[in-house]
Amino acid sequence: MAHAAGYPAGSDAGAIIRLQDVHKVYDAGENAVHALRGIDLSVEAAEYMAIMGPSGSGKSTLMHILGCLDVPTAGEYLLDGTPVSRMSSRELARIRNRKVGFVFQSFNLLPRATTLRNVELPMLYAGIGRGERRERGLEALRKVGLADRAKHLPAQLSGGQRQRVAIARALVNSPAILLADEPTGNLDTRTGQELLGIFDELHAQGHTVILVTHDMNVAAHARRIIHIVDGLVADGTSSALEAEGAVA
Amino acid sequence: MTIHESVLDGLTDVRSHKLRTLLQTLGVVLGVASLVAVQGLVDAGRRRTLEFWSETGGLTKLLIVNRPPKELKITARQLASRSLTWDDAQAIKNEVPWARLVDPIASTRLTVRYGDYQKARDVSAATPDYPSVYKFYPARGRFLTQDDLESQSRVAVLGDTAARTYFGNEDPMGKTLYIGDVGFTVVGVMKRKEFYFNDGDHNALEWMNRQTFIPLTSLYTRFTGDASRRVNYINVVVDKAENNRKATEAARGVLLRRHGGVVDFEVMNRGDRLARAEEQGRVFDLTFLVTGIVSLVVGGIVIMNIMLASFQERVREVGVRKAIGAKGTDIAVQFLVESILVTCIGGALGLVLGVGFAKGITELLGEPAVITPKMALVGVVASVATGLFFGMYPAFKAARLNPVEALRYE
Repeated sequence: MAHAAGYPAGSDAGAIIRLQDVHKVYDAGENAVHALRGIDLSVEAAEYMAIMGPSGSGKSTLMHILGCLDVPTAGEYLLDGTPVSRMSSRELARIRNRKVGFVFQSFNLLPRATTLRNVELPMLYAGIGRGERRERGLEALRKVGLADRAKHLPAQLSGGQRQRVAIARALVNSPAILLADEPTGNLDTRTGQELLGIFDELHAQGHTVILVTHDMNVAAHARRIIHIVDGLVADGTSSALEAEGAVA
Repeated sequence: MTIHESVLDGLTDVRSHKLRTLLQTLGVVLGVASLVAVQGLVDAGRRRTLEFWSETGGLTKLLIVNRPPKELKITARQLASRSLTWDDAQAIKNEVPWARLVDPIASTRLTVRYGDYQKARDVSAATPDYPSVYKFYPARGRFLTQDDLESQSRVAVLGDTAARTYFGNEDPMGKTLYIGDVGFTVVGVMKRKEFYFNDGDHNALEWMNRQTFIPLTSLYTRFTGDASRRVNYINVVVDKAENNRKATEAARGVLLRRHGGVVDFEVMNRGDRLARAEEQGRVFDLTFLVTGIVSLVVGGIVIMNIMLASFQERVREVGVRKAIGAKGTDIAVQFLVESILVTCIGGALGLVLGVGFAKGITELLGEPAVITPKMALVGVVASVATGLFFGMYPAFKAARLNPVEALRYE
């Protein structure tokens, strides 16, 4: 385990994610909803983090901003050194394509495309040629143990297999962060545990993994847990790692 | 994302919605079919007209006819003018450099008699250029020659029908035919001329087969005694179609001078006539064109409608695509490619149907069907344009979807 110990406390030097006083307000005006009210957060490269919070806490909004699906109303967000807060939708699409890998609760595979085609999709949008796409797509499927299912349609796979395809798709462009939103939400407990095993492994291989969940058992896999309450980061103190003082 | 990949994705989508796609395409099928059929009929009609004209002198033929002034009071100058004459024809031949063939014709009604047969017939007094102008050549014997013309010979050449009418089953060659009591030796019988338009049993060129030809000079000296050597009309064949206009002007100039400035003739130019015919045909074409376009618009609206109706089920897909890096333009292109794909499938079916229409109609009219590359071009352009135009709104709507909301969409 490469990172068992030792993020320099309080240092942002190797931060892959850095949020500074991030606000998000929906529907400016009388019915304004203040979803995020000043989030400060930094995530180191290769960290394994869980974001917890009850529904309505703003954790989904935070995830959207982390995943560059949305931009903050105020504040600064640096992803892998790139300020993305004020990017155009076109630039954001590019960032999502190269720097973020999404895993959704409901898998979100294209139902009419084969497994391989689904995995190739991010590379298509990155403009990668056919040969390389195929090679890397099959390689990603091999990593999640589904190389023999390349020609299958999502409907022909089990829930756990579908989510593994989704992970392969998320990883195929070697993103800076892997963002999983309730990835086990639609899976039974055993399959869910198997899937979390994959995230554990990816973390062990040096990927930056962020789980968004309300399930303590899921969050427990992470080395660091932050709680979002009412649009703010509550005291971040329940991960084993933090207990060891590795992270301030 | 390349167009090629969008097409692959689009094909996948079309394959999984075969019935929907088929229904979507119906309007386009009919629209393209009618446009293609129109193009086919227009091409067939034009080709037929040109073929007919080429049988009677081609596009380079100018026809000069007498056109007496319409005014009630006729001036002395007009009276002095003697209408078209053989000398006019010779002047044109000498002075208009682009005139390749000049063929003056005088037609007179005379009694024709052989054996029991006796009847008043139109006799055409012509010159040796006649066969070349009309591509009308002797089947047996010869046509009138320059010698015949100079010596005012008493020789006659008959059209195929005329020969049969006068001589029945007898061989007319060398026999003496009495025209207005003057004996003429039959020296040639022409090949049959035939051209059938729509209905199939009316020979549009039968009038040529009924003709009786004698030398122009023989008409003047033996029958009319016309010192001014008037003719009914003059055919002029120009060397090249580009020179039609110039030759027309030049011929008009020559005649005007010779007729003392009196316009008692008209020079008709087939190039102009073709343009006029096409101008008239255009009104007819326009009706079909409008029909086709209306069908295409309706078809396009159907496609747009179905795309919008099925839009909801695709919102999530758009969200996913955007989440993994699709730009708005990628999404727009994807939707446009799909609608163009659908219209092109419709267009292909319409092309087949339209060719069928054109074939059916031309066959009903008894004409050979023509399939021209222009028809395919019309089909392709119409389908792509329809897909592009009516795919625009759904495409931009999809491209503008907010990824967060699209992903949340159930």
